[in-house]
Amino acid sequence: MLFTTDKQTQEDLNIYGKQGTDSIFSLFNRTATLNGSKLLEEMFRYPLSDADAINKRSGEISYLKIVKATFPFSAELFDGAERYLENTDERTKLPAERPSLEKKLSGLLTANADYKMITDGISALIGITQQLEGLLKSTLFLTGSPLKNDRETQGINTLLNAEPFSLLLHENPKNKLSHEKLAVYDAQLRFRYRDTVKRVLQYIYALDVYMTVAKIAGECNLVFPKALPKEEHVIKIAGFYHPQLRNAVGNSLTITPDSNVVFLTGANMAGKSTFMKSLGIAMYLAHMGFPVAAKEMEFSVMDGIYTTINLPDNLGIGASHFYAEVLRIKKIAKELSTGKNIFVIFDELFRGTNVKDAYEATIAITTAFARKRSSVFVISTHIIEAGAVLRERCANISFKYLPTRMNGTKPEYTYTLESGITDDRHGMIIINNEGILELLKKRKGVTAI
Amino acid sequence: MTFIADKQTLEDLNLLGKYKQYSIFSLFNKVSTTGGENLLSEMFQTPLTDPEAINKRSAIFQYFQSKQITFPFSNGQFSAVENYLNGDSGNNYASAFISLTKKKLLGILVRDEEYQNIQNGLQKTIAVLDDCRIFINKFEDDDHPFHDELLTVKNILNDPKLQWLTTGQSSTSQLSLQKTAKYDHLLRHIMRASLTAVMGTFYQLDVYIAVAGLAQERGFSYARSLPAGNNLFKAVELSHPCIEKAVANPVSFNQESNMIFLTGANMAGKSTFMKAFGINVYLAHMGFPVAAREMQFSVKEGIYSSINVPDNLNMGYSHFYAEVLRVKKVAEEVSSGKDLVIIFDELFKGTNVKDAYDATLEVTAAFSEHLNCLFIISTHIIEAGEVLQKEQDNIQLLYLPTIMNGTIPAYTYQLQPGISSDRHGMMIIENEGILELLN
Repeated sequence: MLFTTDKQTQEDLNIYGKQGTDSIFSLFNRTATLNGSKLLEEMFRYPLSDADAINKRSGEISYLKIVKATFPFSAELFDGAERYLENTDERTKLPAERPSLEKKLSGLLTANADYKMITDGISALIGITQQLEGLLKSTLFLTGSPLKNDRETQGINTLLNAEPFSLLLHENPKNKLSHEKLAVYDAQLRFRYRDTVKRVLQYIYALDVYMTVAKIAGECNLVFPKALPKEEHVIKIAGFYHPQLRNAVGNSLTITPDSNVVFLTGANMAGKSTFMKSLGIAMYLAHMGFPVAAKEMEFSVMDGIYTTINLPDNLGIGASHFYAEVLRIKKIAKELSTGKNIFVIFDELFRGTNVKDAYEATIAITTAFARKRSSVFVISTHIIEAGAVLRERCANISFKYLPTRMNGTKPEYTYTLESGITDDRHGMIIINNEGILELLKKRKGVTAI
Repeated sequence: MTFIADKQTLEDLNLLGKYKQYSIFSLFNKVSTTGGENLLSEMFQTPLTDPEAINKRSAIFQYFQSKQITFPFSNGQFSAVENYLNGDSGNNYASAFISLTKKKLLGILVRDEEYQNIQNGLQKTIAVLDDCRIFINKFEDDDHPFHDELLTVKNILNDPKLQWLTTGQSSTSQLSLQKTAKYDHLLRHIMRASLTAVMGTFYQLDVYIAVAGLAQERGFSYARSLPAGNNLFKAVELSHPCIEKAVANPVSFNQESNMIFLTGANMAGKSTFMKAFGINVYLAHMGFPVAAREMQFSVKEGIYSSINVPDNLNMGYSHFYAEVLRVKKVAEEVSSGKDLVIIFDELFKGTNVKDAYDATLEVTAAFSEHLNCLFIISTHIIEAGEVLQKEQDNIQLLYLPTIMNGTIPAYTYQLQPGISSDRHGMMIIENEGILELLN
């Protein structure tokens, strides 16, 4: 089954970002090859929902991180090889017989682009094959390497020992190939074994992605989460933070079926949204088998993730912000009613309505969510009065808040999660600090004179 | 000085943007020519602040609307003329003749197409100019606000130098080399500046006719602008120009009553009403037709709205802080003494109720003291309205009602005096069947 998510979630978590801005994808998008980047994007598009698959991928990347593997191929080789394989026109196939003197002469006069493409492509593939063999021996097939048990790696290893690759391995890349050999290789690589060659290249692109991710995990001190079976319904995450922030404060959270709803309060700017985004990003990356910005993490695999952080109200078509929120909840409720286990984040639930409605709706919806014990909900709100009622009604809600310390009139934030509900509010202080009321009164004074 | 409207306001009101759905620009963009479209776009980017200039432009629109003319040219015709006039001809007849002869020879010898192109361009231009003259001569010399501009064009097109236009335009037969050289030199050298001016006026005509046509089709009317002093605004049956069959509302402000405090349930139409007001204020300052039966207004120096404030979390701003900064920016502008129109939708929705209550109360009261500005402020903190009503006497309390048909809310979109007490949030949730889905 696929891991489900949607565009709203990816925008909230800034997975792809807008063109030209930093995003979670761009954080990892440092592959050597263009096709590696495409593969990376595909992994971001389709996170996994199977614990074994997640652990396998994260184990392999983690191993590459430990042995500090570097991608040994130069990216230009793949340009040459791909251009070469792309041309499947039989008419460009090198003829087996030697070219006549006449043809040779005309070849000298007008450079034959096809011929160059063919020789470049073949020599690129020779280089790639030889380096891949070296990489398999030196790193991937060492004892202790999880890749040794990887079917695809084993398959690729077998392929290298058979035609056409076995022949390429014996070529000296510095020597010029004879015409006969070129004709044989061209027929094999580009036509007869074309799919095999493609498969080997695809394998190398995946290695490119894994090695890049491993390298970034090392540079940014990311850790590899452990995926647990679905049935355990546990998330334990220690010291997690937002991967795009420098000097971010880490927080820890444990979620079990007995505390599967997190009710988050805190003043404006205390960091509620950032906390929720960090958690969402960690869950997203974890389901890709990627390393996360945390000290330690283990999690039961979920069926999907839905966040609602920056919900645009579509006033162009006449829907209010409140109605947009209601429709969003309805969508999530539909997913839940199909029996899926979902990770749900809701920032500032019902902020687009009046107090009394927001209060009633927050209680009604949170209570209903709380019954879905195998899903996880993180809900932030300013309606702290709803918290007191929910504490009475539901035993499985864990109340957390982000505190504010007042330093004179200046609020300071610790960004460290604490247990309980806070009634911190500093809206007027922020307004006063910006001097808005003075601005408006100053002018009045002037006109009075 | 031009009328101020910043990026946030332009986006809130969805004013600009050719390719944006439902933008006000695309509503009015019924022009035929590219030149007309550029001119229309320029008008949208620079609304006016001079009451006389505004009234003059709207008088021109009204004149064309009363005449019910259609613009008889296509974009292709005008771009052919544009292209042709942009090319170069010789400084005097002799050099023009020599250079054309050279081109004709080249055309015969090596199939160079330049001569053929010039000749085609010339013939198209002759045809269009002739049509232009026929079109412009239809206007009577009566007294109307676009009279001077039309007269200039008329004089140019009826210039004796151009008398051959009608006779010279035997469309089927090719012009001789000699004639081509003569006409080419005349149009592209001697009369070039005048003809460029003619084109400019025709682009204006395009805009005036297109906008007047839309006003006729949608039943828009023209606002009368007054000098800035009295801070007067009065509109009868004001509605949103993009919504057909929109419910119209009266709006009126004056110096003693310069603020509307708007409440209403979700979906009752608060935002739409505020947008309708803002859009019509903007259109009125362009001298454009407005979606109202009648409207008059004291000219303002700018408009600021705050309807969809985006939070900028990448910069570490919360939604509330983004709103505070927006309010601060507006406060700075207001306190600098400018006459402004201010629209705040759901002020401080990004914070908790108690903060929102305090902040709404204080900020609204402080703003309302600026009697030279107009304000519409909406909020769901209805409790703030009751206090404001007691403290200030220059605030109009209005609300948009909800009528319950059993469990289904219905909306009249008709403004009522007072404060709303409608709350149907839970009902909307129940109507969507969410709680049943979760059970």
